[in-house]
Formats: sequence, C-alpha cells, structure tokens
Amino acid sequence: MSSTLRPAVQPWRRANFKRQFEIILAVLIPLPLTMLFALLSNFDANLALIAVFLPLQLIAAGLVGLRAYGKRGIGDAALVVVTIFFSTFVLVLLLSVLFSVIVEGGRAISWQFFSQNNVYVSPTTSLEYGGVGHAILGTLMVVGLTTLAAVPLGIAMAVYLTQSQSKTRNLVRTFTQALSGLPSVVSGLFILTIIEATQMGRSGFTGSLALFPLMLPTVARVAEEALRLVPVDLRYAALALGAPNYRAFFQVILPAAKSGLMTALLLGLARVVGETAPLILTMNPSSSTSLNPFDGGMTTLPTYVYNYLASSYQTSQARAWGAALVLLMLVGVLFGLARILSKSKTTKKKASK
Amino acid sequence: MSQTPATTPAQERRKLVIKPLSKGDKWFFRSTSIAAHFAFVLVALILGFLLWKSWPVIQGQGFDFVIGSTWDADSDPAVFQLGPMLWGSILIAIVGIFIATPMALSMAYLIVFMLPSRLAKIATTLVDLLAALPSVVLGLWGLLVFTPVASHWAEVLNSYLGWIPIFGVADAENGFMRSPFIAGWIVAVMIVPIITSVTREIFSQMDRDLINGALALGGSRLSTFRRVIMPTSSGGVIGGVLLGLGRAIGETVAIFYVLNLSFDINWGALLEPQGGAVASWILARFGEANGEEKDGLMAAGLVLFIVTLIINYIANVIVNRAQPWRKN
Repeated sequence: MSSTLRPAVQPWRRANFKRQFEIILAVLIPLPLTMLFALLSNFDANLALIAVFLPLQLIAAGLVGLRAYGKRGIGDAALVVVTIFFSTFVLVLLLSVLFSVIVEGGRAISWQFFSQNNVYVSPTTSLEYGGVGHAILGTLMVVGLTTLAAVPLGIAMAVYLTQSQSKTRNLVRTFTQALSGLPSVVSGLFILTIIEATQMGRSGFTGSLALFPLMLPTVARVAEEALRLVPVDLRYAALALGAPNYRAFFQVILPAAKSGLMTALLLGLARVVGETAPLILTMNPSSSTSLNPFDGGMTTLPTYVYNYLASSYQTSQARAWGAALVLLMLVGVLFGLARILSKSKTTKKKASK
Repeated sequence: MSQTPATTPAQERRKLVIKPLSKGDKWFFRSTSIAAHFAFVLVALILGFLLWKSWPVIQGQGFDFVIGSTWDADSDPAVFQLGPMLWGSILIAIVGIFIATPMALSMAYLIVFMLPSRLAKIATTLVDLLAALPSVVLGLWGLLVFTPVASHWAEVLNSYLGWIPIFGVADAENGFMRSPFIAGWIVAVMIVPIITSVTREIFSQMDRDLINGALALGGSRLSTFRRVIMPTSSGGVIGGVLLGLGRAIGETVAIFYVLNLSFDINWGALLEPQGGAVASWILARFGEANGEEKDGLMAAGLVLFIVTLIINYIANVIVNRAQPWRKN
C-alpha cells in the first residue's frame, strides 16, 4: 500500500547525490558554453552575457528545479538565478572600482608621494617628484575642524531625541532627516553666500564650514541609534538612586554607549572626508603645505583629485589616481574602525545574554 | 467557582515622566534642546541665504527660470533659465533608479533570505563599502575606466534596439560617450547601497512566521516572494528608492566628469551625448561666473535644494511608516 504512494517532497532533507550532481552541472555548463559560442561566432562578449548566458543558465536551473520540485521549481530556480546574476553584477562593479584605483593608484604611490607637496610640480614633472602630503594635512585639518563642531552638536541632538520627552522631537527628527538629504553643492553655495556677505577670506576654515551641514545629520542619526541601544532600565536605575539626569547621562549612559558614539564619529568622518563640490566652491586650491586653516588656500585629497583629473597629461592623471588611492585608504581605515567597534558591541551583547 | 471576579482592572503600564530635578538638569536639557533646534535654524539659514541671493534672478525670470531653456550671462538683460538641466537631473535619476532597483532588491533578497549568516555579513560589509566610496573616486573611475566599457554597451544597445526612441541617436559617429545613459549608470552605482540597506533592514525585520506559514502552506520561494514578502515590504522599498532618487538628483562631481552638459534639451534620447544636471552645472559654471550669473547659480541651488527636500521628506515619511520598530 505504501509503495503506491508517491514520496512527498521533503524540502528539509539534504539533496541526495544525484540532485547535487544535477545542480553542479547546471552551475558549471552554461558559462563555458557561452564562452565557446562567443569565441566561435565572433559574437559580442557583453551581449552574449545577457542574450546567451542568462537564458542558458535559466533553462539549466529551470530543468533542475523541474526535476526536483515539479512545475513550481521552475519559478524558484528563475528567482535564484536572477538574484545571483544581479548581485554578482553589483559585486563586479564594486570590485572594478577598487581594483582600478588600487592598480592605477599603486603606480603613483611611493614614500615621497605621501610626504612631499606639489610646489615644484608642473603637468610634465615626472612622478618621482611631488606628492599629496599637503593634501593629506589639509584633509585632516579641514575635516578635523568640522568634527570639532559637528560631533558634540550631533551627539547633543541625539541626547535630546532619546533622553528628553519634549513634544518637538519628531519635528527635530524630520528636519535632521531633511538635512541629511542636502545636496553637497548646495551646502557649498550656502557658505559661499556667507563668505560674500561677511567679506571673510576663503580658507580651510570656510571649507570646513561647508562640510558641517553634511556631517551633522549623519552623526546625529547614528548617535541616536547608539543611545537607543542602551537599556532604559539603566537610566531609570540611576535616576532611582537619586542621580540627576545629567549625571545619569554622563556617568551611566555615555559609558554604555561609548563604542556606538565612536561609530557615529567615524561614519560622520567617512561621510565628509570624500566631499569635493562644497570644498571647490569655498576654498582656494594651493600646491604648498599650509598649516594655518584660517588663512590662505588649502588643498584636500578630493579637491586634489578633482584638479589633477581636469588635466589631460598622463602624469597628472596618475597623480589623481594616486590621491584617490590615498583617499580610499583613509575611508577604508575609518570604515574598518567603525566596523570593529560596532562588532565588539554586538558580541558583548550576545555574551551577556 | 471559588475565583472572585477581579475588582480592579489590570494596572496600565505607566509611562515614566522624566522631569529636570536640579539646576544642573535644567541646563542639561536646555542645552541639548538648543542643539536639537539648531536643525531648524540650519535649514532656515540655508533657505534664507540662498533666497536672499537669488531673489533678483527669480524675480527677473519668473517661472521661466525652471522651464525655459536659455542660459546666457552676456546678453542684455542676462537670461537664466534652468529647464534642460533640471529635466536632465530628473532623467539621469530615473535611469539610475531603473538600473539600481533590480540590483538592490536582488542584493537585499540574497543577503536576507539566501546566504548563510557569515556570507551575509560579508555581503553587507561590501554593500556598505560601496556606500562609502567618495563620489570623486567614482567620477575618476567613471571617466577613465567605466566610460569606454559603457559606451560599448550603448553602441550594442543602439545597434539592436535603436528603433526604440529612447535608444536612438541622431549620429552614431558621435561615439556614445558622455550621455545620460552613462551618467545614469554612475548614479546607479551610488544609490544601489542606499536602496539595498533600507530594503535589507525591512526584509530582515519581517515577521518570520508569515514566511514560514506561506512555506508550510506549500508556497514556493517565488510565490512567497511575490505574495508575502513584496506586499508587506513594498512601502519601505518605495521609500528606499525615493531616498536614492534624492541622492541621485543632488549628485555633483561624478556626473560632472561623465556627462556633456548641454542646453539643447534632451527629452529622453539616453544615448545621445548631451544632457543636464543642475548640481554639475553649478560646479561647471562657478569658476567663470560674474556677479549676476552667480546669483543665477544660487537660484539653481535653491531649486535643487527644494526639490531634494520634498523628495527626501516623502521618502522619510514612507520609510518611517514602514519601520514601526524605530518609533520612540
């Protein structure tokens, strides 16, 4: 009697050997077939990827799905194939950016590229002379000045949003979100009107002013999430012990949210360190090292890339790539630190559970 | 029955009201409140200063400022009309959305529903890394690496689908470079991580019981996706797409490199090497602009800010509604 029943589909079972073999075949066959076809017929390789490989892969996966689960397996297989295809595309784009910056920039990079400035550099000067030292210092100073203002203010905003019970919180949140969509070039224009109205000279300081509206909402948003992760019971306990709110914040909540607030700082830095347009509008470029952000021109890494890319000389483009690599390293360091900090927080949370 | 009926209703959970307790507390709350309301001040200052500077131009040009298509600082009186740039920004953003949305949705689906958790973490990191790429680096890559590749795609697209108006070009000898198509791709690379991170969060916060229920009723992966996952999360996805749209319209430097800015309006020929973008136009003209044209550019910035403000506001309302777990 039981032999007449067809075995039910058992999705929780691991695929047996035959099925696994079919899957492997379906993954392995279409790509070489497409390549062979493209080679033999002199077909355009990019087009073949869409017009030949994708349908072949869909058919192959559909067949496996059909054999495993019947008709509904076809749709599932199509979903999986399309998802992986598009995701791979995203990955290829990202790797293409990283790879080209590392390869092209790697040619320009040497020790003196980090340490020297560009005072004696003309478009035809070979890459052995000159570097981005002044731009690195400029970036650090301009972004540092912005950070000095934006981080305390952003954290104070986050405190207001999480600790107080005022009625305007939602409005403040809406405006902060609105600010986070501020186009960077508009921020530059805004500071420019102020420069013209006050007759203040363009300097590194005006550049850091232009970065401020861009950094503030990022810091506020991430800091708010960090503060929200602190259990509210901790705060109530501190208040119940008689601590005033500010001491509860500084001595209980702040230490608990420290790593999250550091993440806010780092993500804010990563947001503005690559900004170009506002700095082009509000700062004069300079090819010498300047240590005074309140007077005279200053160059940062993004504006350096921008200025050198405008030229069609080979060495200038190489310098632009080199500076882009340095910029990317800076972003990578900030980003990696933020990752490590947020990771240590989650593991701690898991351990305490 | 020995059980006595409850005489008092279950005590409602009382919300704790936190009041300032001391002088120090008052200062603490007051200073954070001042800091928080700085957000209003900043938005108001930006709008106010730009409006103040651009008022003569806006008054002079009237509504033609946003729909006309002449930009001439040397004529008398000078004419500043932003139409082609504004439409160009929107066109590029639409192209970017069309390219980015399928990629971002796939990425989010892959991360949340398909990959084992370790691989999912790596994929999340990679997407975040994509978000952290500075736009000037993307511009550099777009100009020197991507444009040759994408112009080849454009050529292929034109030779097979050229009969569709949006893929047609007037003269195929122009080389398919510096077109809205390529700018749209660059913008797509920028907004994929934005849409992905919103969608991923919404997918991962979905009620697992709904999905398991659908699967237990015999649903397949596809039917679960179409009938359960998409209907419950479509609001958030649309919000994410709108956030990407806001970013795409404000993008400056990267588009500046890969697009030929032109005041011959390009209504939708994506492969034609001419287009517009308000932000890039501001950057392009700024170096040589005289006083009056500067005011025109300020007005362009004001229009850009208002457009992005509206889009971002709608996007945030939708996203916040789709993420009720983020409420106070």
